[in-house]
Amino acid sequence: MAIMGTFAFEEDFLAAAKNLTSSGFDNISLLSPLPLEEAQEVLGLGKSPVRHYSLAGAIFGAISGFAMAVATSLVFILPTGGRAIITIPPFLIITYEMTILFGVLFTLVGFHFISGLPAWSDRPYLSSASVDKFVVVVEGADGEQAARAETIIRDAGADEVRHVEDGQ
Amino acid sequence: MFDHGQPSYADVNKDIISTMLETGPKYWTLLGITVSVAGICFFMPWFYQLIVGVGAAGMNRNAVWGSYLSNFIFWIGLSHSGTLLSAVLHITNSPWRKAIYRSAEAMTLFSLMTAAMFVMVHLGRVWFVHWSFPIPNQMGLWPNFRSPLMFDVMAITTYLTASSIFIYMGSVPDFAAVRDASTGLRRRLYTIFSFGWRGTAREWHTLGWAYTFFAVFVIPLAVSVHSIVSWDFALSAVPGFHHTIFAPYFVTGAIYSGTAGIVTVMYCLRKFLNFERYIGQVHLDSLGKLLITLSLIWTYINILELFSTWYGGTSFELEALSFKLTGFYAPLYWEMLLFCAFVPLLMLFKKIRWSWNKMLVISILINIGMLTERFIIVATSQPRKFLPGAFGYYVPSWIEFSITVGSFAIFATLFLIFIKWVPAISLYEVKETLRPLRRDA
Repeated sequence: MAIMGTFAFEEDFLAAAKNLTSSGFDNISLLSPLPLEEAQEVLGLGKSPVRHYSLAGAIFGAISGFAMAVATSLVFILPTGGRAIITIPPFLIITYEMTILFGVLFTLVGFHFISGLPAWSDRPYLSSASVDKFVVVVEGADGEQAARAETIIRDAGADEVRHVEDGQ
Repeated sequence: MFDHGQPSYADVNKDIISTMLETGPKYWTLLGITVSVAGICFFMPWFYQLIVGVGAAGMNRNAVWGSYLSNFIFWIGLSHSGTLLSAVLHITNSPWRKAIYRSAEAMTLFSLMTAAMFVMVHLGRVWFVHWSFPIPNQMGLWPNFRSPLMFDVMAITTYLTASSIFIYMGSVPDFAAVRDASTGLRRRLYTIFSFGWRGTAREWHTLGWAYTFFAVFVIPLAVSVHSIVSWDFALSAVPGFHHTIFAPYFVTGAIYSGTAGIVTVMYCLRKFLNFERYIGQVHLDSLGKLLITLSLIWTYINILELFSTWYGGTSFELEALSFKLTGFYAPLYWEMLLFCAFVPLLMLFKKIRWSWNKMLVISILINIGMLTERFIIVATSQPRKFLPGAFGYYVPSWIEFSITVGSFAIFATLFLIFIKWVPAISLYEVKETLRPLRRDA
C-alpha cells in the first residue's frame, strides 16, 4: 500500500516530508515539478556518488587514450625526420579528448545507476507533479502505519490524500 | 525577465508543450520548403559530384582545400555557442540562460551534424570514411594519431557525443511533462524518452550533479574542438595558415558566430512559436553585450595577426598578407571587417540592442562576415604559397554554391523537426525563475 499526498504549496509539502522522516518513515518519495534543494536536504541527500563515476571515467579515458596512441605508434612505426616514435604532445591531445569522452559516458552510466532509471514499470505517480503540484508518496505502509502517515500528510495541509496499491 | 507578466507554472507547460502538439499548415509548408531545398541544393549536387568526382568543385592544383572546408569551419564555429554558452552560464548560475539554452544546445547539435556533412562532401569517396576511425580491419589500416586531422576526428566525435548527451539529459524532465500532457502513441514514446521520470528528489538530485559534471566536461571540450580545427591549418607551414594565434582566433570566432546565431534563432522562436512571453529584452540585451565583447576580442586578434605577420617580415608571409589585403579576394576581406568589426559597434547603443529587428539584421551580417572569414582563410593562403609557380586562384563552382545554400536548409530542417519533438524552452528551468509556489510569495 502507498499513500500519496498532493500539495499546492512548497512549505506544506516540505513540512509533511520533514514530519514523516522524523516519525521514522524512510520509504518516502518527494515528487516536484522542479528541483527543490530543501526536499533533497530532508532526505539527507548530500554529495552525489555520480562524481565517482565521472572521475573513474576520466581516468579510464585518459589511460586508454594515451595507451591507444602509444600502441598505434609502436605497432605502425612511422619514422618522421628523426623524431621520437612516441611523441608526447600530439598524444596528449588524443588523451585529452578521450578523458572527456569517457568522463561524460561514465557520468551518464552513473546517473542511470544512482537514479534507478530507466524505470518504466508503474510506480505511484500523479501527472500534476510535472505541472504545478508537489506530491509526497509513502510506500510500504500498512494498517496503523498508513493511518499515521495519512494524518501527518493531512495535518501538513495536503489538498488530497490517496491510497494506492504499490506499483500503481 | 518576463516582458508580458509572469506566467503560472501551468501556463509554462501549456504554452511550450502546445507548440509541439499543435501543428498548423504554416509549419508543414516551411518544412516542405526546407526539405526540398536540402534535397535539390545539397543532396542532388553531391550525388552528381560522387558520380563525376571532386573535380566538379572548383578546387584545383593550387587550392586543394576549398569552400567545403570553409563551410565545415563555419558550421563547427556556429555550433560553439550553444553548448558552451549553456555550460558556462549553468556553472555561473545565470538566470537569463534558462529560457534560451535548450534551443541554443540544439543549434550546437545540428550545426555539428551539418559540419560533419561537409567532411563527407569534401572527402570525395565518402564510403571510405570509416578508415579515419580506429576500427580493426583486415587491411591493417589504422589512423595516425600524430595528424591534426585525426585530432579533429577524435574531437568532433567526442563533441557530438557529449553535446547529444548534454541536451538529452537536460530534456528528460521535460519529456516526462510531454508524456503527461499527451495520449496514445506519443505518450508511449515519451514514456520511453523520459526513462519513467517522476521528478523525485533523488532523481532531481542525481540529475543536478550529473548535469553539472557534463557542463564541466563540455567547456574545455568546446574550447579544444575549435583549437584543434585551427591546428588543421596552423600546424602546416603554409603562409597565412602558420600562426600561433590561430587557436584563440578560431575559438573566439566560433563563439562570436555562435552567439550571433543564437540571436537569429531566438528571433525565429519568438516570431513563429509565440515565445515573446519567455524570450524577452533581458535575453536580447545580454546577448548584445556578449556580442560586443566578442567582437572587440575578435578585432583585436585580427589586428594581432596582421601585426605579427608584418613584424615577422618573412617574404612568403608578407606576400600572402599583401594578397589578402589587396589581391583578388580583398573585397571579401574588407566586407568581413565591415560586418564583424564595425557593424557590431552599433550595439553599443541601447536603442539598437533592444530592437529585435535591428539585432536580427546585425546577427545575420556577423554570420555572413564569419562565413567570409573562413573562406578567406582557406582561399587566400593555399593558392599563394612560396613560389610563383604555385600561385593560382580558386573560385567555387556552382556545385559548391548550391551545396552551401543546401546546408542552411539541412540545418533548418533539423531544427524544425526538433521543435516538434523536444520542448524548445526548458519547462522546469523556466519554472525556477518564477515566483515559488509558497503561501508567502
